[in-house]
Amino acid sequence: MLSRLRKKFAGSGSHFLAFLLCALILPSAAVVLVAVAGMLSQERAMEAAVSSYVQDLAESMSYHLSSDSDVWTFSMLSDFTRFPFFSWGPSIPGWVALVGQDGRVIIASPGSMDIITSIWRDDLPVGKALRLEDREGAQYTLAVYPVKRPSGGYVVAAVSWRQLLGGLVGVVRVWPILIVAIAFLSFYAIRLLWRRVVTPLRSLAAEIDSMTIGKDVPEKLPEGTIQEIESVHSALLRFSQAAVERDNLRNRYVRDVVQAQEQERMDMAREIHDGALQDVTALLQQIHMIEDDENKASRLKRSEIIAKAVVKELRAFCDELAPPWMDLGLNEAITELAERLSQAYDIVIMTDYDEGTDSAEIENDKILSLLRIIQEAVSNAVRHGEASTVNIQLSRKDDTMTLEISDNGKGFDSGNINHETLRVEGHRGLASMTERMSLMGGTLRIASRLGEGTEITASFKV
Amino acid sequence: MAVRILLADDHPLTRSGIAEFVRREETFELVAEAEDGTEAWDKIKELHPDVALLDIRMPGYDGVTVAQKVKNEGMNTAIVMLTSYDAQQYVIASLRAGARGFVLKTVSPKELTTAINTVAKGGLYLDPEVASVMGEQDFIPEQLSVREREVLLLAAKGLSSKEVAKKLFISERTVQTHLASIYDKLGSRNKTEALLLALKYGVVTLEELLEDD
Repeated sequence: MLSRLRKKFAGSGSHFLAFLLCALILPSAAVVLVAVAGMLSQERAMEAAVSSYVQDLAESMSYHLSSDSDVWTFSMLSDFTRFPFFSWGPSIPGWVALVGQDGRVIIASPGSMDIITSIWRDDLPVGKALRLEDREGAQYTLAVYPVKRPSGGYVVAAVSWRQLLGGLVGVVRVWPILIVAIAFLSFYAIRLLWRRVVTPLRSLAAEIDSMTIGKDVPEKLPEGTIQEIESVHSALLRFSQAAVERDNLRNRYVRDVVQAQEQERMDMAREIHDGALQDVTALLQQIHMIEDDENKASRLKRSEIIAKAVVKELRAFCDELAPPWMDLGLNEAITELAERLSQAYDIVIMTDYDEGTDSAEIENDKILSLLRIIQEAVSNAVRHGEASTVNIQLSRKDDTMTLEISDNGKGFDSGNINHETLRVEGHRGLASMTERMSLMGGTLRIASRLGEGTEITASFKV
Repeated sequence: MAVRILLADDHPLTRSGIAEFVRREETFELVAEAEDGTEAWDKIKELHPDVALLDIRMPGYDGVTVAQKVKNEGMNTAIVMLTSYDAQQYVIASLRAGARGFVLKTVSPKELTTAINTVAKGGLYLDPEVASVMGEQDFIPEQLSVREREVLLLAAKGLSSKEVAKKLFISERTVQTHLASIYDKLGSRNKTEALLLALKYGVVTLEELLEDD
């Protein structure tokens, strides 16, 4: 039963917290109620005890005075020895006094006059105990009993609560204050728990909820939130800010990739349009004119020259798009590319292949990626680094191939670079080199220092 | 006696153009046409042509593979690569596979005739477009030294500078110096071109290149 209940509450986060707070409030309230009830019943018990004591005292006095007929003379006033109970002093708690029919005090125990006078009221009932307070607020109980004699008169007995019950009275006085203080403290603690733990937790939960639908995290939690939740919140804040930044970076990254793609297509279209298409159009014009031309041979020769130019242009274009010679294998493809680049840029490019590199079977798309990396590296070395020599070294250790491209250019501060930031910052070339390698499951390291050239190391498994 | 020719190209328009030219030439006899590498190899085995004109990129076997098979079988068919690609590494790969001619498809009929006749007689023909000295028509190369020829041949066989140095017991730097001198004498810009020019001018022979050592 209990475990089912717990499960039910534990099932939902907010219910569980409410349950927890109830579990704290209910015992506190119960303690307060029990304490108040206890206090009231103790008060009653104390009053009953004091009343019965005073009544006993007064009644027994009255009985003694009633039975002894000789005592009740005026001479007896000076003879205390016959009425020992009027000279108790402090040995028995309480005070007694004999009052005549006319209200005159006939005899009284020591000190009773002061006490009885200070609490006396004219409407005191006879035969009953009554609780009274003096001017200082001290508690007394007083009883008046009639003396059954022809001359009449009353016995007045009184007792101080403090005298009879001692410290218990003080405890009973302090008790309610203590209970109220404890109750107040516990309710205050619960209120703090609610304000500093439950409310912040709820708002944190709402933030996490809003994060999943793509909103940003608000900066502030309710005032006075406890440290632990603050820490969670700030961790969440950092996390969400990083996520947002990353998201932005990725968006810009994707946009850049798309832009680059479109740019490439536009470049290709322009190249075909301005090159081959124009040449073929010119060729067609030459062919049209052959018929009416007297010098057919020269017209044909011109056509041939144009056609050859188209072929050359398209061949170069294809080489640029995807060099067909990568079919020959990595080493040959690198040599071909290196020689072409060396001619194009008019620089020295040295290639070196370690033993075992030519036996590796590498897919064409990987070869193409490596060729692109070399192309980019050499282009950077020449354009940015003003290098005059580039070394390309291919080596193999077990199943790991390493391509190293180093130049004698100016170099740059490579520091900490990441391909996404590179791309967004406009270093598309370096970014795409890294991307290509990671697509191949390899790694690319760019090491460069100002004035020391650049070394690019690409490693991958075969 | 007419030169018996096999023509293999997967592109029908190109194939029919070249076939028409070959048929027109009286000294040539077109014995077969093939539209892929496998068919080409089967027909070469069957017909033993004098010369096979092979496209490099074809379905089935590519041209270089067919050349390699012909070489491995020790057949007398001379191979001429007929291709759209001007990559020098294709030339080297073809020559290593035993081809004796390398001609671009933009070749003129006159040049193609020369190429076929040259290889049929056991010579070597390289298209001027893939093996020419820039800007100089009548270039006579300087004689290479014995060491330079060794370096060139080893480098042509695909050895790295380091390996060439080790083999010849000289320093890598010396190898580089030799190579620079070779380029200079042949008017080439790189190793591959140096080798092609050396072959073209007869400084080294194809047999030397194909030697295994």
